[in-house]
Parts: sequence; structure tokens; C-alpha cells
Amino acid sequence: MSVTDDLRRIARELLESGRVTRVIGYEEGRRGQVRPLVARTVEEAGRLLFDERCARNLALYLLDFKPQGEEEPPAVAVVLKPCDARALNVLVLENQVRREKVYVLGVACPGIPGKPACASCTERIPPTFDLLLGKPEPPPAPAGPDDLSRLLALSPEERRRFWAEQFRRCIRCYACRQVCPMCYCEVCIAEKLDPPWESIAIAPSENEFYHVLRAYHLIGRCIECGECERVCPMGIPVFLYQRYLAEEVRQTFGFRAGMDAETPAPFMTFRKEELEDLP
Amino acid sequence: MEFEPRIVGFLCNWCSYAGADLAGTSRLSYPPNIRIIRVPCSGRVDPMLAMKAFLEGADGVIVLGCHPGDCHYSEGNYHARRRLHLFHRLLELFGLEKERFRLDWVSASEGVRFAEVVAGFTEQVRRLGPRVRPEDILERQR
Repeated sequence: MSVTDDLRRIARELLESGRVTRVIGYEEGRRGQVRPLVARTVEEAGRLLFDERCARNLALYLLDFKPQGEEEPPAVAVVLKPCDARALNVLVLENQVRREKVYVLGVACPGIPGKPACASCTERIPPTFDLLLGKPEPPPAPAGPDDLSRLLALSPEERRRFWAEQFRRCIRCYACRQVCPMCYCEVCIAEKLDPPWESIAIAPSENEFYHVLRAYHLIGRCIECGECERVCPMGIPVFLYQRYLAEEVRQTFGFRAGMDAETPAPFMTFRKEELEDLP
Repeated sequence: MEFEPRIVGFLCNWCSYAGADLAGTSRLSYPPNIRIIRVPCSGRVDPMLAMKAFLEGADGVIVLGCHPGDCHYSEGNYHARRRLHLFHRLLELFGLEKERFRLDWVSASEGVRFAEVVAGFTEQVRRLGPRVRPEDILERQR
């Protein structure tokens, strides 16, 4: 039995029994690509699939079922890879999603071929799931020096020039933000007009401001799915700075976002005895 | 003409702003380069406020708050410390000079310390020179 066969069978059962109202997963799209599917019926559940093309982080769509006031959110099932499940944990920690309303169809992740975030990732099993599909394979051997260590070997001036060159290409389409499950603000500060934080002008300074803003807002929250970089139409290595900060958070506070839904994130808490040498 | 750095200071209402006041009433002199903005707490200072100041032409930004343990709101300065720490790491990756952005503690009774901290930071930024914008870097390469 393939993962897809299991997935279709279980999705049908979940919908038939009324356990969930929808199953969020992937289906065959156009031009050999997969696309998200929100299956509401048993027939639709027959279109679900999972394979190595399923790069997208579906935790994003859980935000469409946020609790609204007194109203109970509907129960949904969702297909989540390890990084996607970490996103769910962060959303639960931040009170955006109620865990008991989500049935997690965890998938043992094969690593998505060609996705930069997967090259440095060793996680094969989601940190939270209600049912695990597929058999986890052993993680690949760690690769040699990558682009992050090469960047860190440069002088500060060279790093600044590197990013200035990268950000000059940015068209501020905000695709990196739209695809990010952690970017759920109703009005993004990048688009706030009163007071305006950044200008809508596409200038190197404004672009730099936007990327620093995005990097900062994801400190201790980024779950390293790398969707931001995958969707960037200009090929800017936006995941590079997220990965660096995730590593800094791990080294400084021993914390990795989304490994569970209880541990407070670094900016939610503090210790009195820490960081006593001010920079 | 000698370079005069433009410095924005975010001062907590309860300690550092009173410390600055004391420096004034004590007739201490300190560099006039600092433009003071009073905030309720150092924990109020989103590092993006510093980025915004840089975007608008500041050469340095300093955040001053109550000493750890003295926060009027008990814990605001501890949050500020964590934020500023990781923000510095972020600045390092982007090659932005973290020396232009400082967090320090000044109590209401430390008028002398306020004058010293401001003088020290102003000198530090003066040595760094004007802040370079990415526009300037890209221009230079042509």
C-alpha cells in the first residue's frame, strides 16, 4: 500500500464518520505539479495524494479555520510533513489554532528533492500527529560547507554588499510573507499606512528594511520549512537568514520553534540571570 | 566640515528619562547629538523602531532603560535585553554595524552616568562615520 492509498482510505473514513468536515491535502495539478486540495466529500478525498512533489506547507490553510469569537471552529484533517507539523505547534502555542480541532495526518518526510530547506534538514517524523503515514527513511549524511557558512566567513562589509545585491532584485511582491504560516497578522506592518513603517517605493533601503523586519518577526518562530525561498520569483535566498536565526536561537536559548506546543518561545519569556554582558 | 552623528535615544519614562533630567538640572554637559524620545519602558522599544530611525537618516540608536530588577513594570527590560541580543545577531548576518545600536541601563539617580553613556556612544558612532545606505553601496560598485 502506498502512502497515497492509505491517505485516501483514511480521509474517506474521517469524512464519512463525521470526525472532520474537511481534509486538507494535495492533489494532482497542471503541468506535472501538485496543488492544495480541501476535500469536503468522499469523492474529493479520492483525489488526494502524497509524493516527493508535495513541497507546500499546508499548515498555512489551518488559519482559514481560526476560532472566531464564541463560534466553534470546524474540525479539519490536514496532511503535514515534519516542518509543517512544527508550524501547527507554533500556531497552537500562539492561540491561532485549537489542536483538538485538527486531525493531523502526519507523513514520514522523504525530503523534497531540489528544495533548499530540505538539504540541511534531518527531520523525518512530524513532532505531532494523530496518525503517521509512510515509513521514515534514515536522514541523509550531513553535507559539507553550505552557503550559510560561506556567507558567515565573509567580512561584514562583504556580507552587506551580498545582501544589497540580493535585495536590489526584490520586487516586494510579499510572496514570502503570504506563503508563511507564521505571518498571520491581519494587517502586516509592511503595509501599515498610519503610521507608515516602510514606503511602498521599491528602493534598496526600503527593501533592506522589509527583509530585516521579516527576519526579526520570525525569530524563535520560524519552523524552517523554506517555503519563503521556494516561492520567491526573484530567486532571493530569503531562507538563508531564517536558517541563520533559527540556529542562533537554538544556540542561545536551546530552543527550536514548534517542536512542541507548550514551551514558551524566546520572546515570550526571559531569565533574570542571562545575557548580563550588554553588547 | 566635521561629521556630527545624528543619534536617536529611546529613554524609559521611569529611570533613564529622569536620569537625563537629572543630568540637565545638575548642569552636566553631554553631546547635543542625541535626540531623545520618551517611551513608557525599554520593553516598548521594538528594534524595528531603530531600523526605522536608520531608514530616516539616524547614524546611531541607543535604548536606555532601568537596571535589571528595577523595571517599573517588573520585567520589561528583561524582554528588551533578549530582543536586542538576538537583533544584534541579525544585524551581524546582514553586515549592518551593530555598534550603531546599543542598549544600556541608566537609573533616575544616575545623571552623571547618563552624560557618560551618551558621550561614549556619540564618540563611538562618530568614529564609525555616517551610516552607509544600501543605495550607496550599489552606487559605489558602478
